[in-house]
Amino acid sequence: MAGGVADYAAISARVRAKYAELLTPQDIVRLSEAPDFLSLFTLLKSTAYGPYLEGLKDKDINPRRVIIQIKRKLADAYNSVIQMAPVQTRPLLKQLYRYYEISNLKAILRAIVTVSTWNTETALWDRVRDVLFPMGSTSVLPAQAMVESGSVATAVDLLHGTPYEDALSFAMKRYSSEQNLFPIEVALDLAYWRRLWSEAQKLTGQDREHSVRIIGSLLDMNNLMWAIRYRVYHKLSEEEIINYTLPFGYRVKDADIRAIAAGADAASVVNRIFPGLPDVSALLENPQTGLPRLEVLLNQRIMKECLAAFVGSPFHIGLPLAFLIMHDFEIQDLIVLIEAKSSGLPEDEYRPFLLKTELLTEH
Amino acid sequence: MLFPEPMTEVELIVPSKDLLAVTKVLGNRGVFHQIDSTYLGLENLGPNTWQEKAAAYSTLERRIQVIMQNLNLEEKYSAVSNVDSISDIEPLQAAVDRIEGEVKSTTDQMAAEKKTLEQLESQLHQLEPIAETNVDVGALRKSNYLHSVLGVIPAENVGRLETSLSRVPHAFFTLREDPKRPVVWVLGPRSNSDVIDRAVKSAYLNPLTLPEEFEGSPAKVTESLRKAIETSKQRISELNEALGKLANTHKDELYKLLWDVHVSRMIADAIARFGQLRHTYVVVGWVPSADLDALIQRLKQASREILIEATSVEPTDHRANVPVALQNSGFPGWFELLVNTYARPRYEELDPTVLIAVTFPLLYGAMFGDVGHGLVLAAFGWLLKSKRVPALRSMASLGGILIASGISGTIFGFLFGSIFGFEDILPEHPFFKHFFWMHPIKNILITLAIAVGTGIVLLTIGYLLNLYNAFRARDWGRFFFDSNGLAGLIFHWSFLGIFASALVPGFPIPTIVFVILAVVSVLLCVVLAEPLRHWMEGHHPLIEGGVGMFIVQAAAELLEKVISVFSNTLSYVRVGAFAIVHAGFTNAVFVIARLLGGGHESGFVYWAVVVLGNLGVILLEAFIVFIQTMRLHYYEFFSKFFRGGGSAYEPLTLSSTPEK
Repeated sequence: MAGGVADYAAISARVRAKYAELLTPQDIVRLSEAPDFLSLFTLLKSTAYGPYLEGLKDKDINPRRVIIQIKRKLADAYNSVIQMAPVQTRPLLKQLYRYYEISNLKAILRAIVTVSTWNTETALWDRVRDVLFPMGSTSVLPAQAMVESGSVATAVDLLHGTPYEDALSFAMKRYSSEQNLFPIEVALDLAYWRRLWSEAQKLTGQDREHSVRIIGSLLDMNNLMWAIRYRVYHKLSEEEIINYTLPFGYRVKDADIRAIAAGADAASVVNRIFPGLPDVSALLENPQTGLPRLEVLLNQRIMKECLAAFVGSPFHIGLPLAFLIMHDFEIQDLIVLIEAKSSGLPEDEYRPFLLKTELLTEH
Repeated sequence: MLFPEPMTEVELIVPSKDLLAVTKVLGNRGVFHQIDSTYLGLENLGPNTWQEKAAAYSTLERRIQVIMQNLNLEEKYSAVSNVDSISDIEPLQAAVDRIEGEVKSTTDQMAAEKKTLEQLESQLHQLEPIAETNVDVGALRKSNYLHSVLGVIPAENVGRLETSLSRVPHAFFTLREDPKRPVVWVLGPRSNSDVIDRAVKSAYLNPLTLPEEFEGSPAKVTESLRKAIETSKQRISELNEALGKLANTHKDELYKLLWDVHVSRMIADAIARFGQLRHTYVVVGWVPSADLDALIQRLKQASREILIEATSVEPTDHRANVPVALQNSGFPGWFELLVNTYARPRYEELDPTVLIAVTFPLLYGAMFGDVGHGLVLAAFGWLLKSKRVPALRSMASLGGILIASGISGTIFGFLFGSIFGFEDILPEHPFFKHFFWMHPIKNILITLAIAVGTGIVLLTIGYLLNLYNAFRARDWGRFFFDSNGLAGLIFHWSFLGIFASALVPGFPIPTIVFVILAVVSVLLCVVLAEPLRHWMEGHHPLIEGGVGMFIVQAAAELLEKVISVFSNTLSYVRVGAFAIVHAGFTNAVFVIARLLGGGHESGFVYWAVVVLGNLGVILLEAFIVFIQTMRLHYYEFFSKFFRGGGSAYEPLTLSSTPEK
């Protein structure tokens, strides 16, 4: 216990302070009442995101730039938490942070593949960098060189010595024959979650208990959504679904994934694992709108797991993990709002996709 | 030392012709904290060409690095260590093109040969496990009833592949165990070949593909593969020699090119953040006031027509963008870590590092008062600081704090007469008895009272520092009506006065005086604080959210204030409590030692328990006391006056060895 207290005294105080800076559900409601994008931007400047938005010149006040700026706050939070975290937990936090690097990697590869369809007046790198998560010097990706390499194979060669080399060495064989990024993206996702799960399993005591619960819940959501999407959208076979999913999780077990892969009623599987979710069958009947909504509902479950980490003893990794995930959810909410306001969507169309306000409604 | 280094805001108007010379001076001095001033530039001048130049230099730098990697050259700069100037990109590009051209054909051949070797080794790796079997490899592919796939698979996918095949009859063999790339062989009925193919493909299995020239039994094929591998290795060795010669020919030029491009990129990056006007550039940044004159002198030498406007920043200027350079070196510098963990001080506020350098060891020592334990802790701190133990290097920044805390614990150990838990040696020693003050465990009430008294003094210092910070920032609302301002201080002391007058017989001031003071001050610092501050600052409305909400909020804040004053003061009881607990812990060690030693205070078992027990106490208390001391500073002390949120001072440095 003494070790835990010593390890976590500073970080738990810091995380609690940063947690208090997160927007409340009421704040999100207030932001969603902004009549347009510019009003939303003005309101955001009065929040903890203010310092990140102040430097934007008038000509840069557009949804894409604003989203990049608000993501910088999350990047700062990750860097600060990783720096303060006890040594034994840093591999887990660094791996969690790698999620954004993998998204960047996918974005870079997609950009290379779709370059021929783009307006070539603007340099490709200038277009790509604005959609990348601002990880700064913590990223191992030679992003610009990859984009400028112009081919997926050359770009992947530049990843020699990075954590992605192994996963990509097998996936590239498939890319070479199929000329499709799907196997690369799946391999990256599977390798990421396997490594994250294994880092959580390596911890001991309360650290392990909390990280397995929180990371496992995230993994459950992803694994379940993958299985359903592969079956519904991609029409993959049973053996493919099994190979493109993972056999572990917190609540979702291998048998559940295999049942979905084998053609069992996905709604009843979901209901059995997460009792109390509103009308999953109806959601799955119309997958185009239903699956994103199901993802929101599952994310809200994760949010509750995160909130639970703030109750009781604060001397474990659960607190920093929960904070980072809650922060990510907040960014997701803000992105929904920014995109909705900039495209003039009516409230009833975007409101169901806000995570925090839905929680408010439940209470 | 008590405040961040005074900074001066500098705005330069630089004629275009002197742009490079000025940037060179700014980079070489290593004192200029650059602010992005592109927004001050004219927007109708077209795209910022410096951004494009920076990107071009960056690409060129990367190309040079790749060439150096291919030639196995260590990435370093030429002997030149200072910034020379930005170099024209065309000659640099031409030089890189030339070297790249000379190197490219050899490196391309090398890459292709390595790929071939890798492929051959992979094929050998897959075939070796079945080298002894007398089967024609080609025949397996032509079987009428069996469908088989042999190949390498990511180790983590093996289990999943087996699961995915469970619905069809199959045989699964792991021919070669490997932590990353095992070789597996899957066999099944040809009628299920579609399922098997989908399964192995989705498990990322790379099937064995042998070129036509490899025919016959596995033994024959592996023999041919080995020969091909030998030839390939020979070829790689020849190419390596050729690359070595190329490296010797080009290395000096590459080091020079890398340095020129690196410097040019950094200068271009810096200039890209200047504001561009028609014939001039606007450069904005911050410089420590002490370095300003020297910088101005050098800038004027570099450009006779430069316009320099320096604006020193008053402490009252609480703009968040003034970079904060802390000035703690030596002993106080050891404690900067503790302050920065809480927050970086703002420019206008007091840097509490010097204070914490005094109060942290003081409180730590009082709770850890033992000569022996203090010396052990100080020695451990020294070990951390000296970085002699590789495993402890990451904790080196804690070393100084532990040294100071250990020495303080030693001093308190003399005052408390305790050495490794022995409470009688020092008080009875003819010399050390003069330093002995009291045993905390025998003077519990006095010890606790002194601890609370120390807390009151520290909290009062905290209030006074907040008053000073508010005064310095001319923030009169905070000065008078903040809950940690003047009214808050009066309330805190009145609150203590009520207890003192009620509990101490013959207290000279009647209780009613304190009650009146407490009521008036709490009204000012809690209930009416917000309207009063709004009134002083000219904000309207004075009350936000309506009267009802105001009353509810005021009641809650009032309750919180009373509880926090009470708990803040009592929180310091822990200092005394730990001093007492320390003696209790060590007493317990001696009792256990006596019991296990058969009732004697001698013998191996007795001393072994005493030594181990002391180690346990040191380990346990060192941690707990550290946390408690941090807690007292962060929650009770810092919260009174320290706000933090400053931004770091990061000067532009183009050279690895700035002139300063």
